[in-house]
Amino acid sequence: MKEDRHQHITDKALLEKFYADKDNQWLGILMQRYTMLLLGVCMKYLKNEDDARDSVQQVFLKAIHELHKYRVDYFKSWIYMVAKNHCLMKLRDKQGKTPVLLDEQVIAVQDEPLSQQAHLDKDRMLDAMSAAIAELNEEQQQCVTLFYLEKKSYSQIADITGFSMMQVKSYIQNGKRNLKIAVERITKQQ
Amino acid sequence: MNKDLLNILLNSNKDIDNQQLMDYLAGKLSEEEKHAVEMQLAENDFMSDAVEGLEIVKNKRDINVFVDQLNRDLHKKLFRKSKRQRRKAIQQRWTFAAIILILALLLAAWLMIVKYQHLRHG
Repeated sequence: MKEDRHQHITDKALLEKFYADKDNQWLGILMQRYTMLLLGVCMKYLKNEDDARDSVQQVFLKAIHELHKYRVDYFKSWIYMVAKNHCLMKLRDKQGKTPVLLDEQVIAVQDEPLSQQAHLDKDRMLDAMSAAIAELNEEQQQCVTLFYLEKKSYSQIADITGFSMMQVKSYIQNGKRNLKIAVERITKQQ
Repeated sequence: MNKDLLNILLNSNKDIDNQQLMDYLAGKLSEEEKHAVEMQLAENDFMSDAVEGLEIVKNKRDINVFVDQLNRDLHKKLFRKSKRQRRKAIQQRWTFAAIILILALLLAAWLMIVKYQHLRHG
C-alpha cells in the first residue's frame, strides 16, 4: 500500500491550497485518502462489487465538479454524504422507492461531542453518566460497559454475551446514542 | 475508570489508516488493537459504514486492487483536459503556425524585392 507523502497536511489545508490555486493535484491527494472508505460505503448499500466501484468513480466525478463550483469546509463529512446520496439514488432507480436524501449544500458540520459538556464540571458529568448508563436497557448496558469500560473488542463481547457481532455493534451504537440523550436531559434538569 | 466513563461521549478526529483497516478486516490485529479500531468505528459513521461494506467483499485482497484502480482513474479524470481546453490548445497551435507562415511569406517577399532591386541596379 502506497504511503501518503502528504499525510502531514490536513484535509482542510489541502482544500485551502486547492481553493487558492485551483490545482487539481490537491484534490487528488485529498480524495485518494477516502477511496477505500468510499468503496466500503458503496458496497454496504449496493452489495455488488462492480456497482460499488462504478459508484465510487461517479462520486469522484461529482466531487470534482462540485468542489470547483462551491466551497466545502468539512470534506470528510461532505464526501460521505455525497456517496450515501448517490447510493440511495441508485437504489431508488432500481427499486422505484424515493429515498430521503441528505442536503449536500448544507455544508456538513462536524459532530458535536456534547453541547453542554464544556460547561459542566467533571464530577457532575460523571454523576450524569452513571445515572444515564443505569437507564439503558440490559443489553445496551452490558455491551457499552464491556466495550468502553472494560475495553473488550466486539468479538470478545460476542463471546461473553452470546450476542452476534452485528447485535453487539448495534447495542453499542444505540447505547451510545441513548446515553448522549440521557446525559443531556439529566444535565438540563440539574 | 472515571476517565473512561467520560470518554464515551467524546468524538475524536483521529482516523484509521488504510493498512490498519485492512489488518482489522483480515483479523490480524490483537484484541487490544481491535478494540482501538472499534472505538473509532463507534464514533464515526463513515468509517463504520465503510467497514460494514468492506466486510462483504468476497476476496479481501481485491480491496487494494480496486482502490489502486480507482485512484488511477481518479488521477486520469483530474488531469484530463476538458474539450474546451483541448480546442483552445489546437486553436493556439494553428494561430502560431499561421504567424510563422505569414512571417516566412513576408521574409520571402522582402528577399525577392531586394533581389529584384539588385538586378535592376546591376
